[in-house]
Amino acid sequence: MSDSQWPRYQVFEQRREGAPHENAGSLHAPDNEIALQMARDIFVRRPTCIDLWVAPAAMIFARSAEQLADPAWREGAPQDSTPGAYRVFAKTRHAGTHQFLGTVEAEGTLSALEQALETFSDTAALVWWIVPDSAFTETDPDDAESLFAPANDKVYRDQADYHTVSLMRNIRHAQAERSSEE
Amino acid sequence: MSYLNISVEDEKQPAGANGTSGDEAAQTAAFEARIERGEKIEPGDWMPAAYRKQLVRMISQHAHSEIVGMLPEGAWITRAPSLRRKMALLAKVQDEAGHGQYLYHAAETLDASREEMIDALLERRAKYSNIFNYPTLSWTDIGVIGWLVDGAAIVNQTMLAKGSYGPYARAMLRICAEESFHKKQGHEQVILMAQGTPEQKAMVQDSIDRWWWPILMMFGPHDSDSPNTPTLMRWGVKTKSNDELRQMFLNQVLPDLEALELTVPDPEMHFDEESGNWIGGEIDWDEFWRVIQGDGPLNADRLAARREAHEEGQWVREALTAYAQREAQAAHAPSTNGASNGAGGAHA
Repeated sequence: MSDSQWPRYQVFEQRREGAPHENAGSLHAPDNEIALQMARDIFVRRPTCIDLWVAPAAMIFARSAEQLADPAWREGAPQDSTPGAYRVFAKTRHAGTHQFLGTVEAEGTLSALEQALETFSDTAALVWWIVPDSAFTETDPDDAESLFAPANDKVYRDQADYHTVSLMRNIRHAQAERSSEE
Repeated sequence: MSYLNISVEDEKQPAGANGTSGDEAAQTAAFEARIERGEKIEPGDWMPAAYRKQLVRMISQHAHSEIVGMLPEGAWITRAPSLRRKMALLAKVQDEAGHGQYLYHAAETLDASREEMIDALLERRAKYSNIFNYPTLSWTDIGVIGWLVDGAAIVNQTMLAKGSYGPYARAMLRICAEESFHKKQGHEQVILMAQGTPEQKAMVQDSIDRWWWPILMMFGPHDSDSPNTPTLMRWGVKTKSNDELRQMFLNQVLPDLEALELTVPDPEMHFDEESGNWIGGEIDWDEFWRVIQGDGPLNADRLAARREAHEEGQWVREALTAYAQREAQAAHAPSTNGASNGAGGAHA
């Protein structure tokens, strides 16, 4: 029995009201519920998150712009027929993260990506992620306050709570005054 | 097989390769061109076996360092001199646990398993930062560790945040943002102690005297003794050399130490007008290699503490797995482990 048998999940965090969910990183967990709890423990120690989603990495269909440039890209895509809602994410900068763009209704994974390319045609994505809606486990709104609000009061975790720059400036100022008096 | 001994054979990528050396050379050239263009390498992408192996080694050792690094500071939580200091230290140690998790998960995206990484640590095949094999003997050590040990780590990590492997670089960005609190809470303590009573100032000076050389060793051997550095720099695993980073750190902290009228235990330390650098004497490399090889003051204690924590957590890991299995069976649904729409995890 080892941790490595646990499946990988991708974690998405929403930093403030109205901001898109974005990929925070990945973790390995035994099930969806524990994955969500672990995501909170690992990724939310600062008041920088108001909502979390987790989804098994195995449920993410990914295609890079490079792959889509091949006219035959559809041949390698999954040909499943699983109608429903799919969430669309895109990474637009190499050093950036995947951001949530919106949801499309589609007949399956392949048609979800085709719709995403059309719906979000002004997004210059380096890599697209298409994930069935049903794959997500999300923060229960009733739990949100108990999960995220405590971080707001922990100001001592914020570097701005330590005034080292002004302390050093005052020390140097006092030294300069002393030496000019001498 | 241990991840420390990954062979090229294990690493052959199925996509588009028939395994001939000509393909390998072409793939490596395309890979290096991507890095040259500033692209990030992502988990499903083709990468040379040596790149994967080096990253797994670096990221897992970095993760071990975060976890072992909780021990020297954790020892002082109950003895913090005020509630503010205690809350800050608790929060810092908790951050280190979180950073260890970011990094283990980043290494896992390279198909290193958690179990193999932990085993390698406990069996002494994997290293962690030497600095955590030294003891914390007084409260002022906590200030000095925050300012100078975390300060040195931030210099290194700021470089790593620009590295070519996406998950590692993104973990580093999060870590650097959180560690500026670690550094500043320590810096503040050192400033206040240096301006305190003669006893307080002597105490903080004693901490610096004991930690100074081990801190400079954190940057690793001289460039001339790091034969892999040129390849690692070409692959964007490192973007600055050990000696460059050590120099950046010296130039960052010496002016403040001087202003605080604190000294470093190096009679040769001086500011070189010509180069604009602070230059000191030679590090005791015999001590560096001795501690790396396991003969530091606390190597055995640190590993014993890790082993105990790992063994005592066994039942929790088993319980979580058993619970997940029971829930999956109760739901008559396939577990997420096997569930796939055939999408595959490339780039995910």
